[in-house]
Amino acid sequence: MASLLNRPKLLVALVAVVFLFCLGLAGGALGNEFGGGFIGSPLAHIQLAAEPILSAPIIRGLPVFGDVYLTNTMVTTWIVVSLLLLLAYLGTKNITDTPGRFQGLLEAILELFLGLAEKVAGPTKGRMFFPLFMTIFLFVVTANWLGVLPGFGTIGRFEPASEVIHHAEKKLKGDGDHVDLSSIHLHKFEGDGRFVFIPFGSIGDVLTAKEIEGHGHGESKNGDRAGLLVPFFRSSNTEINTTLAIALIATIAVHWWGIRALGIREHIGKFLNFRSGPIMLFVGLLEGITEFARVLSFTFRLFGNIFAGEVLLIVIAFLVPLVGLVPFLGLELFVGLIQGFIFSMLTLVFATTATMGHGSEGH
Amino acid sequence: MEALGINAAGLLTQIVSFLILFIGLRVLLYKPILKVLDRRSQKIKESLESADKAKQEADISRDEIQKKFDEARVEGQEMIAQAREIADRFKEEELAKARSEIQAERSKAEAEIRQERDAAIEELREHFAGLAMSAAERLVSRTMDEEAHRDIIDDVLKESLKIK
Repeated sequence: MASLLNRPKLLVALVAVVFLFCLGLAGGALGNEFGGGFIGSPLAHIQLAAEPILSAPIIRGLPVFGDVYLTNTMVTTWIVVSLLLLLAYLGTKNITDTPGRFQGLLEAILELFLGLAEKVAGPTKGRMFFPLFMTIFLFVVTANWLGVLPGFGTIGRFEPASEVIHHAEKKLKGDGDHVDLSSIHLHKFEGDGRFVFIPFGSIGDVLTAKEIEGHGHGESKNGDRAGLLVPFFRSSNTEINTTLAIALIATIAVHWWGIRALGIREHIGKFLNFRSGPIMLFVGLLEGITEFARVLSFTFRLFGNIFAGEVLLIVIAFLVPLVGLVPFLGLELFVGLIQGFIFSMLTLVFATTATMGHGSEGH
Repeated sequence: MEALGINAAGLLTQIVSFLILFIGLRVLLYKPILKVLDRRSQKIKESLESADKAKQEADISRDEIQKKFDEARVEGQEMIAQAREIADRFKEEELAKARSEIQAERSKAEAEIRQERDAAIEELREHFAGLAMSAAERLVSRTMDEEAHRDIIDDVLKESLKIK
């Protein structure tokens, strides 16, 4: 304690953090149970599917796709892609043999992963697998880390109650069911015109669609506007389409490399093996099933981890706002890095085994 | 599938976006950086090799220089020894020459001295012979017998020889 008194800056910071933590504890959902809750807002709406950030579809009635909406995960993916391409462009614009700091950083990252790929797959195959291996890592990690930034999930479009009900009705169309209005939860927003917000201390202000029935465009009795927040930005990997897309690309690439290395007959022969008796045929079929399972495990491992992380952050921000979130932000950064590494590393390992031939596969 | 949020448009968008990223990074990042890395490692390998070679060459030339140096030293020592030998010999020769010259001078001087002495003795003897002759003339003139005459001459001669 004596040493802490000698360092006034640290002491002030510590006191501030403790104060903010207590404030959050009292002002959040936990404090709400004891009469506090002056900072908190209702638990954010959590849904699996990505939300469209424009109410109208950007393309209407395509043959296979139907109405195409611009979703918040698409926007985030494009931000990730642009950011990485911009960094790559800036890093290699004036490329020299005696690198500056930024080029040195890029070189260090690439060299680390190239070394890893070459160690796992061998020098020539490592070079072949490296671009996909590296891209998966960079994309997944950048997307995960962007998702931790403030503004993700908290800034967005106000979707009025009528629209929310309309979407719910559209989903059920064809089933002949009626929408259960009491199952649709809405938040109360304040403000008027173009800028609305969920105010502090509104933890209890959750309405169901049934309550505002007959009040026109989502206006409740006392003039508040009911609706939902549709965030502009949502971490790319919290949508299954993103993780499924990477999983499909990785799996197709693995099989493509397998066919290229062994020839199509031997590669398919690993899964449809009629030459080595019924047991090997069964083993081959099992391996074939494993290939499909891999796509699913790829998809849901990444999706599950990042979606769960997002939900965790939302819940913690609901329970203990302000600084309660900080350790979990660190945790999410760590999880985001690890998931990126796992995804890319598994792709590398699968690619290596797929190109190794029958004798060394699956024993 | 709809409940999970999987839809064709979203999936296709993500696939296309990822492929764009993949191709873009390949062109913008991996190719140039790997090229630089490969070129640098090649360069390092080459410069290490050339450094090795230079070191070997330096070793060789150092050995050569050492060898030449040793040779030169041996040669120098030989030359010094030779020079010393020559000097010794020269000294000896000069000494011998000088000695023989001195010897020759001395013998010449001795010979001259002897010659002088002989000449002096001869002169003396002639003088005494003259004296003897005059004595004899005087005796003859006083007529003496022949025998006494001869004795006197012999005595004179004997005495003159004793002087010598």
